[in-house]
Amino acid sequence: MRITEIQRFCMHDGPGIRTTVFFKGCPLRCRWCHNPETQRPGQEIMYHSVRCIGCGACVSACPNGCHAIGPEGLHVFERSGCIGCGSCVSACPANALEAAMREMTADEVLSEVLKDNAFYGAEGGVTLSGGEPLMQGGEALELLRKCKAAGVNTAVETSGFFDPSLIPSLAQCVDLLLWDYKDAVDGRLREWTGAADRLDVRNLIACDSLGIPSVLRCIMVSGVNIDAARAEGISSLFARLNNCRYVELLPYHPFGGSKQAALGREVTSDDSFIPSEQELADFSAILAANGTMLSMQRRR
Amino acid sequence: MPGMNPELNEDLNYIDEREGSAYSFYTPKGFSRPVRLSEETRRFAYESLGHKYGLDTRKTDAIVLDDEPGFESLSPYEKYDLAVRRIAEKAPVRICEGEKLSGAATLGAAIRHVVPATYKGQTILPSLSHLTADFDRILTMGLGGLRAEAEESLERYKGTEKEPFARSAVNTLDSFEIWLERYVNALEEASAKDQCFAANLNNLRHVPYRPARSFYEAVQSIWAEFAFLRLCGNWPGIGRIDRMLGKYLEADLSTGAVTYGEAREILAHFFIKGCEWICGGDYGSGDAQHYQNLVIGGIDAEGREVTNDVTYLVLDVIEELGISDFPTTVRLSANSPEKLLKRTAEVTRLGGGTVAVYNEDLIIETLTGYGYPLKDAREFANDGCWEVQVPGTTDFSYLPFDSLAILQQTTLNNYDIEGAGTRFPDFESLISAYESDLAAYVELLCGGFNAAYRFGTDGEFLGWNPVFPCTAVSLFERGCVERGLSYLEGGPEYRIRSPHIGGLADTVNSLYALKKAVYDDKLVRLDEFLAILRSNWEDSEPLRRYMLNKYTYYGADNDEVDAIAARILTSFADACDAQNKGYGYRFPAGVSTFGRQLEWAPHRLAAPHGRKKGEVLAANCSPTPGTDTQGATAIVRSYCKCPLKRTVTGAALDIRLMPSCVSGEDGLNALIGLMRGFVSLGGFFMQIDVVDAAILHDAQEHPEEHQTLSVRVSGWNARFVTLNKEWQDMVIGQAEGGDKTFGGCGQCG
Repeated sequence: MRITEIQRFCMHDGPGIRTTVFFKGCPLRCRWCHNPETQRPGQEIMYHSVRCIGCGACVSACPNGCHAIGPEGLHVFERSGCIGCGSCVSACPANALEAAMREMTADEVLSEVLKDNAFYGAEGGVTLSGGEPLMQGGEALELLRKCKAAGVNTAVETSGFFDPSLIPSLAQCVDLLLWDYKDAVDGRLREWTGAADRLDVRNLIACDSLGIPSVLRCIMVSGVNIDAARAEGISSLFARLNNCRYVELLPYHPFGGSKQAALGREVTSDDSFIPSEQELADFSAILAANGTMLSMQRRR
Repeated sequence: MPGMNPELNEDLNYIDEREGSAYSFYTPKGFSRPVRLSEETRRFAYESLGHKYGLDTRKTDAIVLDDEPGFESLSPYEKYDLAVRRIAEKAPVRICEGEKLSGAATLGAAIRHVVPATYKGQTILPSLSHLTADFDRILTMGLGGLRAEAEESLERYKGTEKEPFARSAVNTLDSFEIWLERYVNALEEASAKDQCFAANLNNLRHVPYRPARSFYEAVQSIWAEFAFLRLCGNWPGIGRIDRMLGKYLEADLSTGAVTYGEAREILAHFFIKGCEWICGGDYGSGDAQHYQNLVIGGIDAEGREVTNDVTYLVLDVIEELGISDFPTTVRLSANSPEKLLKRTAEVTRLGGGTVAVYNEDLIIETLTGYGYPLKDAREFANDGCWEVQVPGTTDFSYLPFDSLAILQQTTLNNYDIEGAGTRFPDFESLISAYESDLAAYVELLCGGFNAAYRFGTDGEFLGWNPVFPCTAVSLFERGCVERGLSYLEGGPEYRIRSPHIGGLADTVNSLYALKKAVYDDKLVRLDEFLAILRSNWEDSEPLRRYMLNKYTYYGADNDEVDAIAARILTSFADACDAQNKGYGYRFPAGVSTFGRQLEWAPHRLAAPHGRKKGEVLAANCSPTPGTDTQGATAIVRSYCKCPLKRTVTGAALDIRLMPSCVSGEDGLNALIGLMRGFVSLGGFFMQIDVVDAAILHDAQEHPEEHQTLSVRVSGWNARFVTLNKEWQDMVIGQAEGGDKTFGGCGQCG
């Protein structure tokens, strides 16, 4: 399976201590994406200019001459010829060049996940995230099954845009779905994420009807999706679900911007997306008035 | 609500909270501290943490003995006894407004760890620390019982070389009583004006002279002994306060003699009075660490769980006041009550690092493995810091050294070795040479203690050489009076000098870096590498970066490097064990730096794992800053691969977490999970620090030193240093919004 990162000791990707496995590849192109390196399915080389010491190790390592050190010691990365072989990554002593992806087998991932088994307890475990982990559906299910067999609690963080035929199998091996419910307003969803339809809602209802517990995680992007229409949409969806525990609001952050730059892409991350306290409070108030359970209400 | 039994309501620690107080204590943003104590007690805490009583000690630094006739011709014990007598007679008596416990260590020089008495402008006697005194005997026998024992001892040893100590024991008890009498008199006066002191007066008329009859008397009795020891300049630890006090509280709750809330008030005063030496100002390592740790939870000598109402009341007090004294360590095990874990986590996440944890499953096994009887092993506490000892009968000190200096200066001869590649043709030859040098150093370190003993003509061990008088402490260490030997001269049951290896992670990382770069990957020849290190990486920045970034070091759960840590620690423990001669001291191994990595930094050379000369490197048994790239669970895993059953006096692990990381129910559960994992993987001692804005600023400037700092980003957490500048700024901004109050600053051991 194609993985960007396995992050241990995650406290907020589901209950307890979790190991989060980030899958590469996503059907959506959210302009606020926090993990742009997980969008495209294939290998990409990230270049972090602040780490570069201009040593030129990459120049001699690259078989296609993609790297050059300019006249003022400035590193130039010509991506058009890059085949993602990773020779420059191995050579770079400063980790300025980084491969976004590694291929791993389910057993390899499992052995990483099991390293923290002593910390999971009854609640903690593994969370598959991304990207859209269910875009690599077969691989994701294989990993989930292996984790379940090893007694590890499983969660999947999903956009909801995945092949519905996975759902019956998913119900057998996932303990919690962290559902990124990006917008309730259809046209706006299409405009900002590229989603063609409401596959996410259909899948969610199907999962819910099979009894899979879920949490609605709602990204809050100022000037984009924070309005009464969306709040009402969240409440009405929440009310339809029998197994959704609560709604969590996740304020946008500009973390993705520097990664877009490192990937050599246009930076669409924008500080103006950051919601104000007031926007969040007003939005929460609508949800609360509708009787929608919010994450903070379950906290002491 | 007389005698409300908390067992009737599991959540009593939560329900008797009230709203609002005029006094607030440092709280990380996003958290709140409960208000349960009376406003009067909170005021007392506020003032004490605000240095009021610490500054009071500046008024009288020490008792002057210049006018004592013939002082210079007195014997050491006579000088000591006279000094203690005059201290008892003359030290200012301080009764604080509203205090529930009386007795105070009011002489400033005691805070500098000396007997606070001077002759011709000089203090004359050193004092003791790194021990936990015995408080069980004062609780059960009272001073009267101790006096009978001391007088019997004097009778027995009259005319022998033990007489001066035996006489000093009786004299010191006289002085203790003189000092107590002055408090009784002062309280009589105070009570005439203010009835609030009547209870203190009643207590002090009975204890510590006689055995304690109630919870309140028991707390006063422990406090009186503690305060007297500190008055005489010593810095004792308290030990297992819940084990000592639990039965008194249980009895009083059942009869209604005290309520749960009243008991909390009394214990709070114990903590607040414990802050009487906090003076504020810049003390380098902090102004509130006088080795006065206490220990809660765990099993007793018979193997029964100790955790009781006192345990939870202690946690209540720390939770509410964010109080840095007494630093508290919770003994956890696989069988710890669920509520103990939860309450420990709840208090820990309020920051300050005041609460740390032991894994008693491992520690008891370690101690019995080293030869301690099971009953004593089960009673372990510490030396007032975190080094494990059997409280009340252990003469303890530790012998710190820098293991990295041995590698750099001895084994690698300051990186100047003719024909280095021939000398060390493979990694095994290098690491073996280091192990030999380490063992030789340990032998040198421990061999110095032969001077402490007297030997017969055939080399047989006769006993200890006299050291300086230390009778006050000796009175409260089991075995001393009985044997007629002081604390420093063989009196206690256990006599420990524990070599403590420092710089462990950096030694291990250096060896691993050499293994990989020179022997496995053959990036560079040994002689070339040593020359580069000698030059402090001059013109070798790419190699330095490569060494920093391309290998994973101790603390990142890499089996290959962790195996080197295990090997070095095993060699070290073997070398320590080899020093045990069957008499005198024993030399169990331990791992620490405390703050010494700062002192060592200027004397260390560049290190092969990419470190430049002068960098401040690893603390205790923790990873080198910046190498802990996989988060806290990986650190615990690496640490637990060390042979911790060989580190008899302890190996400390420091974990720092952001407040945002442990917020909410998820964060609390994660913290509990971290503690559980620490226990089940076989950790020894862990101090979790929940850190705040100032640390974040530093992390921004020196990201390489703060790899483990995790922050809540939004719906997940990320390591702070992996965030970009804008985000770091925002997170710092959030952290800085916290309450601007003092306190909560726990000093790590």
